[in-house]
Amino acid sequence: MESQTDQAIPTRYSLLSRLQNWRDNESWQDFFDTYWRLIYSVALRSGLTEAEAQEVVQETVICVAKDIHKFKRDRELGSFKGWLRNIIRWRIADQLRKRTRRSSDQPAPPEEQSEILGTAGDNCEAVWELEWKAHLLKTAIQRVKHRVKEEHFQIFDLYALREWPVNKVAKALGVSAPVVYLAKHRVGAMIKKEILAMEKGQQ
Amino acid sequence: MSESQDSFGPETAPPFPATPPSIPEHQIMRRIGSGGSGEVWLARHTFGAYRAVKIVPLRAAGRHQISQNEFSGILNFEPVSRLHDGLVDILQAGGGEEQGYFYYVMELADDARSGQPFMAETYWPRTLAHDIRARGRLPIGECIRLGAAIASALGFLHRQNLIHRDIKPSNIIFVNGFPKLADIGLVTEISGERGHAGTVGFIPPEGSGTAQADLYSLGKVLYEMSTGNRAENYPALPADLGTTRDDLELMQFNRIILKACRTNPRSRYDSADELMTALLSFQFNHRASRWSSGGWPWAWAIGAFGALIGAGFIIFLVWRLVWLLQRSE
Repeated sequence: MESQTDQAIPTRYSLLSRLQNWRDNESWQDFFDTYWRLIYSVALRSGLTEAEAQEVVQETVICVAKDIHKFKRDRELGSFKGWLRNIIRWRIADQLRKRTRRSSDQPAPPEEQSEILGTAGDNCEAVWELEWKAHLLKTAIQRVKHRVKEEHFQIFDLYALREWPVNKVAKALGVSAPVVYLAKHRVGAMIKKEILAMEKGQQ
Repeated sequence: MSESQDSFGPETAPPFPATPPSIPEHQIMRRIGSGGSGEVWLARHTFGAYRAVKIVPLRAAGRHQISQNEFSGILNFEPVSRLHDGLVDILQAGGGEEQGYFYYVMELADDARSGQPFMAETYWPRTLAHDIRARGRLPIGECIRLGAAIASALGFLHRQNLIHRDIKPSNIIFVNGFPKLADIGLVTEISGERGHAGTVGFIPPEGSGTAQADLYSLGKVLYEMSTGNRAENYPALPADLGTTRDDLELMQFNRIILKACRTNPRSRYDSADELMTALLSFQFNHRASRWSSGGWPWAWAIGAFGALIGAGFIIFLVWRLVWLLQRSE
Protein backbone atom coordinates (compact mmCIF):
# COMPACT_ATOMS: atom_id res chain seq x y z
CA MET A 1 0.00 0.00 0.00
CA GLU A 2 1.56 3.30 -1.08
CA SER A 3 1.98 6.02 1.48
CA GLN A 4 0.57 9.44 0.86
CA THR A 5 3.67 10.97 -0.70
CA ASP A 6 4.75 12.08 -4.11
CA GLN A 7 4.62 8.45 -5.21
CA ALA A 8 0.83 8.74 -5.18
CA ILE A 9 1.19 11.10 -8.18
CA PRO A 10 3.98 9.60 -10.27
CA THR A 11 6.41 11.68 -12.30
CA ARG A 12 5.32 12.13 -15.85
CA TYR A 13 8.23 10.34 -17.46
CA SER A 14 8.25 7.32 -15.19
CA LEU A 15 4.49 7.01 -15.71
CA LEU A 16 4.86 7.26 -19.48
CA SER A 17 7.49 4.54 -19.39
CA ARG A 18 5.22 2.25 -17.41
CA LEU A 19 2.31 2.87 -19.77
CA GLN A 20 4.20 0.90 -22.41
CA ASN A 21 3.08 -2.17 -20.49
CA TRP A 22 -0.61 -2.61 -21.18
CA ARG A 23 -0.95 -5.00 -18.26
CA ASP A 24 0.18 -2.36 -15.76
CA ASN A 25 -3.34 -1.58 -14.62
CA GLU A 26 -2.20 0.65 -11.78
CA SER A 27 -0.22 2.93 -14.08
CA TRP A 28 -3.05 3.15 -16.56
CA GLN A 29 -5.41 4.02 -13.73
CA ASP A 30 -2.93 6.70 -12.63
CA PHE A 31 -2.87 8.08 -16.16
CA PHE A 32 -6.64 8.15 -16.37
CA ASP A 33 -7.04 9.73 -12.92
CA THR A 34 -4.44 12.39 -13.78
CA TYR A 35 -5.64 13.42 -17.21
CA TRP A 36 -9.31 12.62 -17.72
CA ARG A 37 -10.55 15.91 -16.29
CA LEU A 38 -8.18 17.85 -18.48
CA ILE A 39 -9.31 16.01 -21.63
CA TYR A 40 -12.99 16.32 -20.67
CA SER A 41 -12.73 20.05 -19.88
CA VAL A 42 -10.95 20.84 -23.14
CA ALA A 43 -13.56 18.88 -25.10
CA LEU A 44 -16.47 20.59 -23.34
CA ARG A 45 -15.00 24.03 -23.75
CA SER A 46 -14.41 23.34 -27.40
CA GLY A 47 -18.15 23.17 -27.87
CA LEU A 48 -18.90 19.48 -27.48
CA THR A 49 -21.77 18.07 -25.46
CA GLU A 50 -21.14 16.05 -22.31
CA ALA A 51 -21.72 12.79 -24.16
CA GLU A 52 -19.36 13.81 -26.95
CA ALA A 53 -16.75 14.95 -24.45
CA GLN A 54 -16.93 11.58 -22.70
CA GLU A 55 -16.32 9.88 -26.03
CA VAL A 56 -13.30 12.10 -26.58
CA VAL A 57 -11.93 10.98 -23.21
CA GLN A 58 -12.37 7.33 -24.09
CA GLU A 59 -10.95 7.66 -27.58
CA THR A 60 -8.00 9.71 -26.38
CA VAL A 61 -7.08 7.06 -23.82
CA ILE A 62 -7.37 4.39 -26.50
CA CYS A 63 -5.12 6.40 -28.83
CA VAL A 64 -2.54 6.89 -26.11
CA ALA A 65 -2.66 3.17 -25.38
CA LYS A 66 -2.14 2.31 -29.04
CA ASP A 67 0.63 4.80 -29.73
CA ILE A 68 2.47 5.24 -26.43
CA HIS A 69 5.19 2.89 -27.60
CA LYS A 70 5.82 5.24 -30.51
CA PHE A 71 6.17 8.25 -28.25
CA LYS A 72 9.77 9.22 -27.72
CA ARG A 73 11.33 11.74 -25.50
CA ASP A 74 13.10 13.42 -28.31
CA ARG A 75 12.09 16.08 -30.74
CA GLU A 76 10.47 13.76 -33.25
CA LEU A 77 7.07 13.85 -31.60
CA GLY A 78 7.70 16.85 -29.37
CA SER A 79 6.75 16.99 -25.75
CA PHE A 80 4.16 14.77 -24.16
CA LYS A 81 2.02 17.85 -23.66
CA GLY A 82 2.04 18.67 -27.36
CA TRP A 83 1.49 15.05 -28.35
CA LEU A 84 -1.48 14.71 -26.04
CA ARG A 85 -2.89 18.02 -27.21
CA ASN A 86 -2.83 16.86 -30.83
CA ILE A 87 -4.55 13.59 -29.99
CA ILE A 88 -7.29 15.44 -28.13
CA ARG A 89 -7.68 17.93 -30.94
CA TRP A 90 -8.10 15.17 -33.53
CA ARG A 91 -10.62 13.36 -31.36
CA ILE A 92 -12.62 16.56 -30.95
CA ALA A 93 -12.52 17.02 -34.71
CA ASP A 94 -13.83 13.46 -35.11
CA GLN A 95 -16.83 14.29 -32.96
CA LEU A 96 -17.55 17.40 -34.97
CA ARG A 97 -17.32 15.45 -38.21
CA LYS A 98 -19.86 13.00 -36.85
CA ARG A 99 -22.15 15.92 -36.09
CA THR A 100 -22.02 17.23 -39.63
CA ARG A 101 -22.79 13.75 -40.93
CA ARG A 102 -25.69 13.31 -38.49
CA SER A 103 -27.23 16.71 -39.10
CA SER A 104 -28.01 16.10 -42.74
CA ASP A 105 -28.56 13.22 -45.12
CA GLN A 106 -25.61 14.31 -47.14
CA PRO A 107 -22.27 15.30 -45.69
CA ALA A 108 -21.47 19.00 -45.59
CA PRO A 109 -19.34 20.40 -48.38
CA PRO A 110 -15.59 20.15 -47.77
CA GLU A 111 -15.27 23.93 -47.30
CA GLU A 112 -17.92 23.92 -44.59
CA GLN A 113 -16.38 20.91 -42.88
CA SER A 114 -13.03 22.57 -43.04
CA GLU A 115 -14.47 25.72 -41.52
CA ILE A 116 -16.10 23.79 -38.69
CA LEU A 117 -12.93 21.86 -38.00
CA GLY A 118 -10.83 24.96 -38.30
CA THR A 119 -13.02 26.82 -35.81
CA ALA A 120 -13.00 23.82 -33.53
CA GLY A 121 -9.23 23.65 -33.79
CA ASP A 122 -8.92 27.29 -32.82
CA ASN A 123 -11.29 26.79 -29.91
CA CYS A 124 -9.38 23.73 -28.80
CA GLU A 125 -6.09 25.58 -28.99
CA ALA A 126 -7.56 28.48 -27.09
CA VAL A 127 -8.86 26.43 -24.21
CA TRP A 128 -5.97 23.99 -24.20
CA GLU A 129 -3.46 26.34 -22.63
CA LEU A 130 -5.93 27.49 -19.99
CA GLU A 131 -6.94 23.95 -19.08
CA TRP A 132 -3.34 22.75 -19.15
CA LYS A 133 -2.28 25.48 -16.72
CA ALA A 134 -5.21 24.63 -14.47
CA HIS A 135 -4.23 20.97 -14.63
CA LEU A 136 -0.61 21.77 -13.71
CA LEU A 137 -1.73 23.94 -10.81
CA LYS A 138 -4.09 21.30 -9.48
CA THR A 139 -1.47 18.56 -9.77
CA ALA A 140 1.18 20.75 -8.15
CA ILE A 141 -1.13 21.57 -5.25
CA GLN A 142 -1.88 17.88 -4.74
CA ARG A 143 1.83 17.07 -4.60
CA VAL A 144 2.79 19.93 -2.32
CA LYS A 145 -0.13 19.18 0.01
CA HIS A 146 1.66 16.09 1.28
CA ARG A 147 4.96 17.89 1.83
CA VAL A 148 3.88 20.78 4.04
CA LYS A 149 2.43 21.06 7.50
CA GLU A 150 -1.30 20.55 7.35
CA GLU A 151 -2.06 23.94 8.94
CA HIS A 152 0.10 25.68 6.36
CA PHE A 153 -1.78 24.00 3.55
CA GLN A 154 -5.07 25.06 5.07
CA ILE A 155 -3.79 28.62 5.43
CA PHE A 156 -2.77 28.64 1.78
CA ASP A 157 -6.12 27.17 0.77
CA LEU A 158 -8.15 29.77 2.64
CA TYR A 159 -5.93 32.81 2.02
CA ALA A 160 -4.52 32.27 -1.48
CA LEU A 161 -7.09 30.06 -3.15
CA ARG A 162 -10.33 31.15 -1.50
CA GLU A 163 -9.09 34.70 -0.93
CA TRP A 164 -10.32 35.03 2.62
CA PRO A 165 -9.16 38.15 4.44
CA VAL A 166 -6.03 37.53 6.48
CA ASN A 167 -7.74 38.27 9.81
CA LYS A 168 -10.48 35.78 9.06
CA VAL A 169 -7.93 33.10 8.21
CA ALA A 170 -5.91 33.89 11.33
CA LYS A 171 -8.96 33.67 13.56
CA ALA A 172 -10.29 30.51 11.92
CA LEU A 173 -7.02 28.64 12.29
CA GLY A 174 -5.92 30.18 15.57
CA VAL A 175 -2.71 31.71 14.21
CA SER A 176 -1.31 35.19 13.84
CA ALA A 177 -1.41 37.28 10.67
CA PRO A 178 2.37 37.01 10.09
CA VAL A 179 2.03 33.22 10.17
CA VAL A 180 -0.63 33.47 7.48
CA TYR A 181 1.61 35.58 5.26
CA LEU A 182 4.58 33.32 5.81
CA ALA A 183 2.67 30.12 5.10
CA LYS A 184 1.17 31.56 1.94
CA HIS A 185 4.59 32.61 0.73
CA ARG A 186 6.25 29.27 1.48
CA VAL A 187 3.54 27.06 0.09
CA GLY A 188 3.11 29.29 -2.94
CA ALA A 189 6.83 29.10 -3.67
CA MET A 190 6.77 25.31 -3.45
CA ILE A 191 3.83 25.13 -5.84
CA LYS A 192 5.53 27.42 -8.36
CA LYS A 193 8.66 25.29 -8.17
CA GLU A 194 6.60 22.15 -8.72
CA ILE A 195 4.88 23.61 -11.77
CA LEU A 196 8.22 24.61 -13.28
CA ALA A 197 9.54 21.10 -12.70
CA MET A 198 6.50 19.55 -14.35
CA GLU A 199 6.73 21.91 -17.32
CA LYS A 200 10.37 21.06 -17.72
CA GLY A 201 9.54 17.37 -17.53
CA GLN A 202 7.03 17.74 -20.30
CA GLN A 203 9.57 19.17 -22.70
CA MET B 1 -22.57 -6.31 9.44
CA SER B 2 -19.43 -4.59 8.54
CA GLU B 3 -18.65 -4.73 4.83
CA SER B 4 -19.10 -1.56 2.86
CA GLN B 5 -22.14 -1.32 0.63
CA ASP B 6 -19.73 -0.12 -2.06
CA SER B 7 -18.21 -3.58 -2.23
CA PHE B 8 -21.50 -5.29 -2.98
CA GLY B 9 -22.39 -6.47 -6.43
CA PRO B 10 -21.69 -9.38 -8.75
CA GLU B 11 -19.03 -7.39 -10.61
CA THR B 12 -17.02 -7.07 -7.42
CA ALA B 13 -17.98 -10.27 -5.63
CA PRO B 14 -15.08 -12.57 -4.81
CA PRO B 15 -15.08 -16.09 -6.24
CA PHE B 16 -16.95 -17.67 -3.32
CA PRO B 17 -19.59 -20.37 -3.53
CA ALA B 18 -22.97 -18.93 -4.49
CA THR B 19 -24.76 -20.98 -1.84
CA PRO B 20 -23.58 -20.44 1.73
CA PRO B 21 -23.02 -23.40 4.02
CA SER B 22 -25.56 -24.04 6.75
CA ILE B 23 -24.88 -22.31 10.05
CA PRO B 24 -26.07 -23.93 13.30
CA GLU B 25 -29.26 -22.44 14.73
CA HIS B 26 -29.52 -19.93 11.90
CA GLN B 27 -31.42 -19.68 8.66
CA ILE B 28 -29.36 -17.87 6.04
CA MET B 29 -31.58 -15.43 4.13
CA ARG B 30 -29.66 -13.23 1.71
CA ARG B 31 -26.26 -11.77 1.07
CA ILE B 32 -25.84 -8.22 2.34
CA GLY B 33 -22.16 -7.56 1.82
CA SER B 34 -18.84 -8.83 0.61
CA GLY B 35 -15.23 -8.05 1.29
CA GLY B 36 -11.79 -9.26 0.45
CA SER B 37 -11.99 -12.33 2.63
CA GLY B 38 -15.60 -13.40 2.76
CA GLU B 39 -19.26 -12.58 2.48
CA VAL B 40 -21.79 -11.29 4.98
CA TRP B 41 -25.27 -12.72 5.08
CA LEU B 42 -28.49 -11.74 6.78
CA ALA B 43 -29.61 -14.64 8.92
CA ARG B 44 -32.39 -15.42 11.33
CA HIS B 45 -31.80 -17.24 14.59
CA THR B 46 -34.06 -20.11 15.53
CA PHE B 47 -35.55 -17.91 18.26
CA GLY B 48 -36.42 -15.18 15.74
CA ALA B 49 -33.68 -12.57 16.12
CA TYR B 50 -31.94 -11.35 12.98
CA ARG B 51 -28.16 -11.53 12.84
CA ALA B 52 -25.30 -10.89 10.46
CA VAL B 53 -23.17 -13.89 9.62
CA LYS B 54 -19.78 -13.60 7.97
CA ILE B 55 -18.56 -16.71 6.17
CA VAL B 56 -14.90 -16.93 5.23
CA PRO B 57 -13.74 -19.76 3.00
CA LEU B 58 -10.35 -21.08 4.03
CA ARG B 59 -9.46 -22.48 0.67
CA ALA B 60 -10.37 -19.65 -1.72
CA ALA B 61 -7.60 -19.30 -4.28
CA GLY B 62 -5.01 -16.70 -3.32
CA ARG B 63 -6.76 -15.87 -0.07
CA HIS B 64 -5.66 -18.61 2.25
CA GLN B 65 -3.32 -16.41 4.27
CA ILE B 66 -5.85 -13.58 4.45
CA SER B 67 -8.47 -16.00 5.71
CA GLN B 68 -6.09 -17.51 8.24
CA ASN B 69 -5.26 -14.04 9.53
CA GLU B 70 -8.92 -13.24 9.93
CA PHE B 71 -9.49 -16.52 11.73
CA SER B 72 -6.75 -15.57 14.18
CA GLY B 73 -8.28 -12.12 14.54
CA ILE B 74 -11.62 -13.61 15.50
CA LEU B 75 -9.99 -15.83 18.12
CA ASN B 76 -8.43 -12.69 19.63
CA PHE B 77 -11.47 -10.49 19.37
CA GLU B 78 -14.38 -12.75 20.27
CA PRO B 79 -13.61 -13.00 24.01
CA VAL B 80 -13.57 -9.21 24.45
CA SER B 81 -16.19 -8.14 21.93
CA ARG B 82 -19.05 -8.24 24.39
CA LEU B 83 -17.17 -6.37 27.13
CA HIS B 84 -17.54 -2.91 25.59
CA ASP B 85 -20.61 -1.25 24.08
CA GLY B 86 -18.53 0.25 21.29
CA LEU B 87 -17.45 -3.09 19.83
CA VAL B 88 -19.72 -5.22 17.67
CA ASP B 89 -20.77 -8.31 19.61
CA ILE B 90 -19.55 -11.62 18.27
CA LEU B 91 -22.28 -14.03 19.37
CA GLN B 92 -21.11 -17.30 17.92
CA ALA B 93 -18.24 -18.61 15.85
CA GLY B 94 -17.38 -21.92 14.30
CA GLY B 95 -16.05 -23.89 11.37
CA GLY B 96 -12.44 -24.70 10.65
CA GLU B 97 -9.98 -26.33 8.29
CA GLU B 98 -12.00 -29.51 8.11
CA GLN B 99 -15.10 -27.72 6.95
CA GLY B 100 -13.11 -25.48 4.62
CA TYR B 101 -14.59 -22.30 6.05
CA PHE B 102 -15.19 -20.53 9.29
CA TYR B 103 -18.02 -18.25 10.27
CA TYR B 104 -18.96 -15.80 12.96
CA VAL B 105 -22.33 -14.46 13.95
CA MET B 106 -22.63 -10.80 14.86
CA GLU B 107 -25.34 -8.50 16.09
CA LEU B 108 -27.13 -6.87 13.20
CA ALA B 109 -26.72 -3.21 12.36
CA ASP B 110 -29.75 -0.94 12.26
CA ASP B 111 -31.55 -0.71 8.94
CA ALA B 112 -30.21 2.17 6.85
CA ARG B 113 -33.78 3.13 5.98
CA SER B 114 -34.37 4.80 9.32
CA GLY B 115 -37.91 4.99 10.55
CA GLN B 116 -39.06 2.04 8.46
CA PRO B 117 -40.24 -1.27 9.91
CA PHE B 118 -37.62 -3.97 9.47
CA MET B 119 -38.05 -5.93 6.28
CA ALA B 120 -35.61 -8.71 5.57
CA GLU B 121 -36.11 -8.37 1.82
CA THR B 122 -34.96 -4.76 1.70
CA TYR B 123 -32.72 -4.52 4.74
CA TRP B 124 -29.45 -2.68 4.30
CA PRO B 125 -27.01 -2.09 7.18
CA ARG B 126 -26.60 1.42 8.49
CA THR B 127 -22.97 2.49 8.66
CA LEU B 128 -21.30 5.83 9.25
CA ALA B 129 -20.27 5.81 5.58
CA HIS B 130 -23.92 5.55 4.63
CA ASP B 131 -24.82 8.47 6.90
CA ILE B 132 -22.10 10.70 5.44
CA ARG B 133 -23.12 9.83 1.88
CA ALA B 134 -26.76 10.56 2.65
CA ARG B 135 -26.33 13.73 4.74
CA GLY B 136 -22.99 15.23 3.82
CA ARG B 137 -20.98 16.67 6.69
CA LEU B 138 -22.45 15.93 10.09
CA PRO B 139 -23.03 18.54 12.83
CA ILE B 140 -20.01 18.96 15.07
CA GLY B 141 -21.94 17.90 18.16
CA GLU B 142 -22.73 14.59 16.50
CA CYS B 143 -19.12 14.19 15.36
CA ILE B 144 -17.98 14.63 18.96
CA ARG B 145 -20.47 12.09 20.26
CA LEU B 146 -19.59 9.50 17.64
CA GLY B 147 -15.88 10.19 17.86
CA ALA B 148 -15.83 9.87 21.65
CA ALA B 149 -17.78 6.60 21.53
CA ILE B 150 -15.40 5.05 19.01
CA ALA B 151 -12.34 6.41 20.81
CA SER B 152 -13.61 4.78 24.00
CA ALA B 153 -14.01 1.45 22.21
CA LEU B 154 -10.61 1.78 20.64
CA GLY B 155 -9.00 2.55 23.98
CA PHE B 156 -10.56 -0.57 25.42
CA LEU B 157 -9.33 -2.65 22.49
CA HIS B 158 -5.80 -1.30 22.86
CA ARG B 159 -5.79 -2.10 26.57
CA GLN B 160 -6.50 -5.72 25.59
CA ASN B 161 -3.31 -5.50 23.51
CA LEU B 162 -5.28 -5.60 20.28
CA ILE B 163 -5.37 -3.22 17.32
CA HIS B 164 -8.08 -2.87 14.72
CA ARG B 165 -6.09 -1.84 11.60
CA ASP B 166 -9.06 -0.92 9.40
CA ILE B 167 -10.94 1.93 11.03
CA LYS B 168 -13.02 3.82 8.51
CA PRO B 169 -16.65 4.99 8.25
CA SER B 170 -17.86 1.88 6.44
CA ASN B 171 -16.58 -0.22 9.36
CA ILE B 172 -18.56 1.72 11.96
CA ILE B 173 -22.09 0.42 12.26
CA PHE B 174 -25.05 1.57 14.32
CA VAL B 175 -26.90 -0.80 16.64
CA ASN B 176 -29.95 0.73 18.29
CA GLY B 177 -28.54 4.10 17.26
CA PHE B 178 -25.21 3.52 19.04
CA PRO B 179 -21.98 3.45 17.01
CA LYS B 180 -19.86 0.31 17.12
CA LEU B 181 -16.55 -0.70 15.63
CA ALA B 182 -17.09 -3.59 13.26
CA ASP B 183 -15.27 -5.52 10.54
CA ILE B 184 -12.77 -7.12 12.84
CA GLY B 185 -11.15 -9.08 10.03
CA LEU B 186 -7.83 -7.30 10.53
CA VAL B 187 -7.82 -7.25 14.34
CA THR B 188 -4.57 -8.56 15.68
CA GLU B 189 -2.30 -8.33 18.68
CA ILE B 190 -0.10 -5.30 19.06
CA SER B 191 3.34 -6.44 17.95
CA GLY B 192 4.98 -3.19 16.87
CA GLU B 193 5.50 -4.57 13.39
CA ARG B 194 4.60 -2.09 10.70
CA GLY B 195 2.49 -3.28 7.83
CA HIS B 196 0.26 -2.06 5.04
CA ALA B 197 -3.07 -3.56 6.04
CA GLY B 198 -6.02 -1.25 5.87
CA THR B 199 -7.62 1.16 3.44
CA VAL B 200 -5.99 3.89 1.36
CA GLY B 201 -6.61 7.26 2.91
CA PHE B 202 -6.76 5.86 6.43
CA ILE B 203 -3.30 4.30 6.68
CA PRO B 204 -0.76 6.63 8.30
CA PRO B 205 2.54 7.45 6.57
CA GLU B 206 4.45 5.05 8.83
CA GLY B 207 2.13 2.15 7.98
CA SER B 208 -0.41 0.22 10.01
CA GLY B 209 0.16 -2.16 12.88
CA THR B 210 0.31 0.08 15.93
CA ALA B 211 -2.11 1.74 18.29
CA GLN B 212 -0.94 5.10 16.98
CA ALA B 213 -1.92 4.03 13.47
CA ASP B 214 -5.44 3.27 14.71
CA LEU B 215 -5.62 6.79 16.17
CA TYR B 216 -4.57 8.27 12.84
CA SER B 217 -7.35 6.30 11.13
CA LEU B 218 -9.88 7.53 13.67
CA GLY B 219 -8.67 11.06 13.01
CA LYS B 220 -9.43 10.56 9.34
CA VAL B 221 -12.90 9.33 10.29
CA LEU B 222 -13.42 12.56 12.27
CA TYR B 223 -12.24 14.44 9.18
CA GLU B 224 -14.71 12.70 6.84
CA MET B 225 -17.58 13.13 9.29
CA SER B 226 -17.03 16.82 9.90
CA THR B 227 -16.08 17.95 6.39
CA GLY B 228 -17.91 15.53 4.13
CA ASN B 229 -14.64 15.19 2.19
CA ARG B 230 -13.03 11.85 1.44
CA ALA B 231 -10.03 10.91 3.55
CA GLU B 232 -7.72 11.23 0.54
CA ASN B 233 -8.53 14.96 0.36
CA TYR B 234 -7.16 15.63 3.85
CA PRO B 235 -6.36 18.33 4.98
CA ALA B 236 -8.53 20.24 2.49
CA LEU B 237 -11.43 22.06 4.13
CA PRO B 238 -15.03 21.87 2.86
CA ALA B 239 -15.68 23.77 -0.35
CA ASP B 240 -18.72 25.46 1.20
CA LEU B 241 -16.90 26.67 4.31
CA GLY B 242 -18.46 29.98 5.36
CA THR B 243 -19.08 31.98 8.47
CA THR B 244 -21.98 30.17 10.12
CA ARG B 245 -21.71 29.09 13.73
CA ASP B 246 -21.22 25.49 12.60
CA ASP B 247 -18.25 26.52 10.50
CA LEU B 248 -16.65 28.32 13.43
CA GLU B 249 -17.10 25.12 15.44
CA LEU B 250 -15.62 23.13 12.57
CA MET B 251 -12.47 25.24 12.57
CA GLN B 252 -12.03 24.64 16.28
CA PHE B 253 -12.78 20.94 15.85
CA ASN B 254 -10.22 21.00 13.04
CA ARG B 255 -7.46 21.36 15.66
CA ILE B 256 -8.37 17.99 17.16
CA ILE B 257 -8.29 16.40 13.71
CA LEU B 258 -4.91 17.96 12.90
CA LYS B 259 -3.39 16.55 16.06
CA ALA B 260 -4.90 13.11 15.56
CA CYS B 261 -3.54 12.96 12.00
CA ARG B 262 -0.02 14.31 12.49
CA THR B 263 2.54 12.80 10.15
CA ASN B 264 4.84 12.14 13.10
CA PRO B 265 3.18 9.53 15.35
CA ARG B 266 4.85 11.07 18.41
CA SER B 267 2.99 14.33 17.73
CA ARG B 268 -0.43 12.67 17.82
CA TYR B 269 -2.52 11.95 20.89
CA ASP B 270 -0.73 9.49 23.13
CA SER B 271 -3.73 7.21 23.40
CA ALA B 272 -7.33 6.74 22.36
CA ASP B 273 -8.33 7.82 25.87
CA GLU B 274 -6.49 11.11 25.41
CA LEU B 275 -8.30 11.68 22.13
CA MET B 276 -11.61 10.90 23.80
CA THR B 277 -10.80 13.36 26.59
CA ALA B 278 -9.96 16.03 24.01
CA LEU B 279 -13.30 15.49 22.30
CA LEU B 280 -15.28 15.65 25.52
CA SER B 281 -13.35 18.72 26.69
CA PHE B 282 -14.08 20.39 23.41
CA GLN B 283 -17.75 19.66 23.89
CA PHE B 284 -17.70 21.05 27.43
CA ASN B 285 -15.70 24.17 26.56
CA HIS B 286 -17.78 24.76 23.52
CA ARG B 287 -20.98 24.69 25.54
CA ALA B 288 -19.42 27.01 28.13
CA SER B 289 -18.34 29.50 25.47
CA ARG B 290 -21.82 29.47 23.94
CA TRP B 291 -23.20 30.16 27.37
CA SER B 292 -20.92 33.13 27.93
CA SER B 293 -21.20 34.53 24.41
CA GLY B 294 -24.96 34.74 24.56
CA GLY B 295 -25.58 31.85 22.29
CA TRP B 296 -28.41 30.74 24.52
CA PRO B 297 -30.73 33.77 25.21
CA TRP B 298 -32.65 32.02 27.94
CA ALA B 299 -29.41 31.73 29.90
CA TRP B 300 -29.27 35.49 30.01
CA ALA B 301 -32.82 35.64 31.26
CA ILE B 302 -32.02 33.24 34.09
CA GLY B 303 -28.89 35.18 34.89
CA ALA B 304 -30.76 38.48 35.00
CA PHE B 305 -33.44 37.01 37.22
CA GLY B 306 -30.83 35.64 39.56
CA ALA B 307 -29.12 39.02 39.72
CA LEU B 308 -32.42 40.64 40.57
CA ILE B 309 -33.07 38.22 43.40
CA GLY B 310 -29.54 38.76 44.71
CA ALA B 311 -29.91 42.51 44.63
CA GLY B 312 -33.23 42.29 46.43
CA PHE B 313 -31.69 40.15 49.15
CA ILE B 314 -28.86 42.61 49.68
CA ILE B 315 -31.31 45.51 49.90
CA PHE B 316 -33.28 43.55 52.48
CA LEU B 317 -30.16 42.89 54.54
CA VAL B 318 -29.18 46.58 54.51
CA TRP B 319 -32.70 47.62 55.50
CA ARG B 320 -32.73 45.08 58.31
CA LEU B 321 -29.39 46.30 59.60
CA VAL B 322 -30.55 49.92 59.59
CA TRP B 323 -33.74 48.91 61.39
CA LEU B 324 -31.78 47.05 64.07
CA LEU B 325 -29.44 49.99 64.56
CA GLN B 326 -32.34 52.40 64.90
CA ARG B 327 -34.02 50.12 67.41
CA SER B 328 -30.92 49.84 69.49
CA GLU B 329 -30.74 53.61 69.72
